[in-house]
Amino acid sequence: MSTLKIGWLFPDTLFLHGERGNLLALKRFAGMAGFEAEVDKIDFHTENFVPDDYDILFCAPGEISSFTIVHDWLKPHTDELKKFVESGKPLIVTGTSVALFGKQIVRTDGSQIDGLGVIRIISTENEEVYGDDNYFKCSYNGQEMEIIGNQIQMNDIDLNGEQPFGRLLYGYGNTGKDRNEGVIKNNSIFTNTLGPMLVCDPWLTVEIIKVAADHRGDEIRNIEYDMELEKKSFDTKKGLIKTKESSLVNCRDTNGGN
Amino acid sequence: MKFYLALWFAKLINFMISIVDKSRGTNLAGEKAMKIDPQMVSHFKGIDPEKVLFITGTNGKSTTNNLINHIFKSNGKTVVSNLEGANLIFGVCTALIKASSLGGRVKADFFIFETDERYVPVIRKQLPAANLLITNLQKDQVQRNGDPDYIYRKLKEAVSGGDIRLFLNNDEPRAKSFEDDGREVVTYGAEKHSEAFNKGDSYVTMACPKCHHKIVFDYYNTDGIGRFHCENCGHSSNDAADYSVTDADFINRKFKIGGVEFHMPYDTPYMIYNYAAAAAIAKELGGISLEDAAKSFTSFKNVGGRFEILNFKGKTIKYMRIKQENPETLQTSINVMANDPERKMVALGLCPLVDMIPHYANSFYAYDCDFSKLVNSDVEKYFCFSDHVCYDTANRFIYEGVDPAMISVADTEDVNVIFREIMEAETDNVYLITWLHTYEHMEKYIKEEGNK
Repeated sequence: MSTLKIGWLFPDTLFLHGERGNLLALKRFAGMAGFEAEVDKIDFHTENFVPDDYDILFCAPGEISSFTIVHDWLKPHTDELKKFVESGKPLIVTGTSVALFGKQIVRTDGSQIDGLGVIRIISTENEEVYGDDNYFKCSYNGQEMEIIGNQIQMNDIDLNGEQPFGRLLYGYGNTGKDRNEGVIKNNSIFTNTLGPMLVCDPWLTVEIIKVAADHRGDEIRNIEYDMELEKKSFDTKKGLIKTKESSLVNCRDTNGGN
Repeated sequence: MKFYLALWFAKLINFMISIVDKSRGTNLAGEKAMKIDPQMVSHFKGIDPEKVLFITGTNGKSTTNNLINHIFKSNGKTVVSNLEGANLIFGVCTALIKASSLGGRVKADFFIFETDERYVPVIRKQLPAANLLITNLQKDQVQRNGDPDYIYRKLKEAVSGGDIRLFLNNDEPRAKSFEDDGREVVTYGAEKHSEAFNKGDSYVTMACPKCHHKIVFDYYNTDGIGRFHCENCGHSSNDAADYSVTDADFINRKFKIGGVEFHMPYDTPYMIYNYAAAAAIAKELGGISLEDAAKSFTSFKNVGGRFEILNFKGKTIKYMRIKQENPETLQTSINVMANDPERKMVALGLCPLVDMIPHYANSFYAYDCDFSKLVNSDVEKYFCFSDHVCYDTANRFIYEGVDPAMISVADTEDVNVIFREIMEAETDNVYLITWLHTYEHMEKYIKEEGNK
């Protein structure tokens, strides 16, 4: 059994919204695919961090006030992180931390924080938080799928030429004004979606594991997992979304919301 | 003149409400009056800011406020307070309206208000309290607060200028980090007690509020609170708080502060910090000795709906309230169940958030909680209920290693379904963890159906 290495970036500094669940999901499905999954926490004490040593990198949301110090630590690794993404390995970034990987973050007081520039987006912090479910269609590893999660939106995302990860059926997404949700670059996902997304939407998790395995050149065991529970969860949350009262109008003509 | 018009109008509203139901009207009079005089709170006469205390934080505000009021009143002090939990500026205003004369003068020894974390700066602009108690600042109400730093910045704004005495939780990193902001700081805390715990390596802790590096907890006395230090800047608990609970004995329900023995009114570990805070406030603000404060603890009864026991057709249903989106209250409930060595049924209803529009189905905070000790205890069955969130709740147990065959799921909050499932359990020992709304429906059901 070969080892699938997962790097978890700054888990105690970027620590919001129970995203530990995503790591559990990656580990669980990697196990089903025949891997021994190893999760390394990467933080300020990590020596000789080499992104390419990992098959998957994951970064959870954090407080924007923590971004500068994380940025400063990761900055010397920017080129390696870009190569990781360009090579087709999956870097999965959720919630506020999407902004950290963009070019720039503009805060409510007008101050600016540099992002790592792995993707070109520009983020603008909002005065008010927006929390809701989100529901979108996306394509990953050649598979069309639908995702439901939550988002706790602290900032708007200007794609600045990047490709959106999903097309919203309901939800705020990047700006609350259009159908764009997150960013996809090769096999890396930068999404506003919490949940934890990879627990609630295992059809995506399976594809991420396949992508990581393909990149290693490993044959993987067929993942035999009955997703009945997750499908029931998806359906009941879809029911909530379809009937909920909402001020969002960006998806009014779809069947996702009202 | 606007003030008097607002005051008299509000008193009329209060009078009318009191005819209908004395327990209602905690906000309304203040809300209406402040439409007439938006600065109304600042216009009451006879309030010495040195005698004003605000109690704020994520958890423990209401209980601590109730306990402090009880100690002060049983020691002969008069107190104006918002004991009903209306903790926005309208609730504070309503309490002052009720206590004031027709001329707007308020006579009391102390003014003690529970205040919502977001609104402390707003309220303090009109009522410049010279005392602030911060219980803890944790992940909570993320739909409107986003993250703890959002609240942290608001509270920093509220204490700017430094002309304030701060009462700080010694064992909670964000609260403790206000230690440089007051003209005087009083800390309270607890030594490691018998119910203290640690979490496994896969769990996260939190970012240091001062430097954003990792906070390390040597142990948790209650979730997110315990002896801590920052790996980088040295921000840490003091070796001993000014007022520290020692010798906590949950079996014989007693503890000590400053060598004085106290009765423990409630034997749940999360209450320990409320006890320490109340003793500190009694001594430092009220001039009440620890010995006299201790006497008050013997007769304290908390507001209802936190931990309740229902009896239904031979079943003992132990209800624990959780605040949705708040992992700490859920972890506390998990620990209580895990520490019960008896065979048990666990009924967990994590529900959609309906506090504001839009409603949404969030259960992600459950992944911050450590269920391992619970699932390794003697659980007969798990029952996950609630509209839209029940399957994700069940999955949380599965991710903790629970056999799916031990879990039943119901996509509903219908109390008939919940009671039916409870009656099917072999054990009589049932834990019910959900939000207050469902509990109240179940309590009503028992009153109507329980003896049939």
